[in-house]
Amino acid sequence: MGCEIAVEHLNVHLGGEWVLRDLSFNVKPGEFLGIIGPNGAGKTTLLRTMLGMLKPESGSITFQGKDAGTAASPVFGYAPQIRQMDADIPLRAWDFVSFGLRRRFPPWLSRQDHRIIKEAMLATDSYEFAGKPVGKLSGGERQRLFIAQTLVGNPQVLLLDEPTSNLDPGAQENVASIVHLLNQERGIGALFVTHDVNLIARHAHRILYLTRGQYAIGTVKQVLQSSVLSRLYEAPVEVLNIGSKIVVIASADSTRTPICFHGDCSQEVVGQ
Amino acid sequence: MILSSMLQYDFMQHGFLAGTFVAIMCGAIGVFVIARGVSFIAHTFSEIGFSGAAFAMYTGMDPLNGMLLFTCCSALAIGQLGLKIFRKDIVISVVLSVCLGLGLLFLSLSSKQANAVSSLLFGTVLGISTVDVWKTAFLSTAVLCILFLGYRMLAFDSFDPVGARAAGLPVRFISMAFLLLLAVATAEAIQIVGALLVFTLMTIPASIAQNLTHSVWRMILLSSLIAVAGVWAGLVLGFYTNAPVSFFITIVEGGLYFASLGWSAMRERMRPPELAPSSASLNEAA
Repeated sequence: MGCEIAVEHLNVHLGGEWVLRDLSFNVKPGEFLGIIGPNGAGKTTLLRTMLGMLKPESGSITFQGKDAGTAASPVFGYAPQIRQMDADIPLRAWDFVSFGLRRRFPPWLSRQDHRIIKEAMLATDSYEFAGKPVGKLSGGERQRLFIAQTLVGNPQVLLLDEPTSNLDPGAQENVASIVHLLNQERGIGALFVTHDVNLIARHAHRILYLTRGQYAIGTVKQVLQSSVLSRLYEAPVEVLNIGSKIVVIASADSTRTPICFHGDCSQEVVGQ
Repeated sequence: MILSSMLQYDFMQHGFLAGTFVAIMCGAIGVFVIARGVSFIAHTFSEIGFSGAAFAMYTGMDPLNGMLLFTCCSALAIGQLGLKIFRKDIVISVVLSVCLGLGLLFLSLSSKQANAVSSLLFGTVLGISTVDVWKTAFLSTAVLCILFLGYRMLAFDSFDPVGARAAGLPVRFISMAFLLLLAVATAEAIQIVGALLVFTLMTIPASIAQNLTHSVWRMILLSSLIAVAGVWAGLVLGFYTNAPVSFFITIVEGGLYFASLGWSAMRERMRPPELAPSSASLNEAA
């Protein structure tokens, strides 16, 4: 299902600084790609450029294949990172999800619309709170709702910008599992931005590790190596495999290197 | 009986007709005013409408046309400042200050002052002509039709602006179109409740509705019904007393708002139903 996305020699600058430099990679149809990197590395900028919300200085993003995005099934469905919800917002979860439908007319929901919304909410484990006000939902419930809203637009690829931030470990796993299931059962591709490499390693086919001006793409084993990360951070970085957990730490003599936080090291060790 | 004795007067018929149209429109658009957090802009338009009416009085135009001219021009000016800027209070304050200053100038130049100012500030629901009723009906219907046709996009952008932007909606166009609709609605509402009390119909019914339901359609329906109830109650009570109609409208709407707040607070405090004992606790008990 879907098309192949080819990003070639992408250069993007924001506020007088280069955020993405000569970035090239492909996303195969139905691929689950994890995107990891420290704050300011350009993860959100990459997603926004792919969506056409930002114009690159040079380079291209092309969609290859006969299903390269239609009105009924667009290439991307985007769930942004920052989405503040007032606790008093007078809106049911069901209505919130219905906003994501591609059809803008008529104003009322058809039987088919109802079916699509119900299916999306069931797929994201959010149907049980369909009648609840959005403002009263927990962080994890809201994230599932955001994915459901994106899903009703019938996208080929989900662009999820840090859907697990500020969630407890259980809720993080729950959100990632839902995306994994959508990927496996429906063939929907996913570009999943996160800071937790252990979470994404369990679900993604490959990861794209971004730092400012540098990147590496491949399987978790290929990318999460001291040599690769030291090149990306331009400083010594150690990758420890403790049982099934991966811990990335800056070397003692380079504590000022702003490496991506991949979970509390002490907790990871204690957890073994 | 009471109704038929009131409706034998043309001014009461006009008041009921125009008031009903304006109330339905304000109730519906008010839901989006609250959701977008632009009640300050609605208030700004009402005061700008007051200046427009003062300008109309000075030039001999129809007051409604003057109000529409000023509020729509302000909507375009505020909207042109950009999506990110127009929600900033300071920009709105500047536009408001300039318009109020102009309104003051036109009032000082006009010969008909005291009564005219009073009716502009507090409404003239019982002084509406047949032509004004038709104008009000036409404009209200037009506003409601546009709200109806653009409902999905407007609701998405109003309740989830980040999501709407991410979904590629033309958010700038939606904001501008909404400002223009709000400008028209405000100019109409000024005739019924006056410039100072536009809040009454534009925000209170919608606020009551949001205390009672979380479905957008039900909110629109309830808000419109509550606005109509307030206007009708105001007209009936105003007919049988010497107190102004606007006063009764504000009292009825205000009373309903506090009652809805009480209901909402009571519902929050209600004890949830007892949960069935979990399997873990059953095992412990065993």
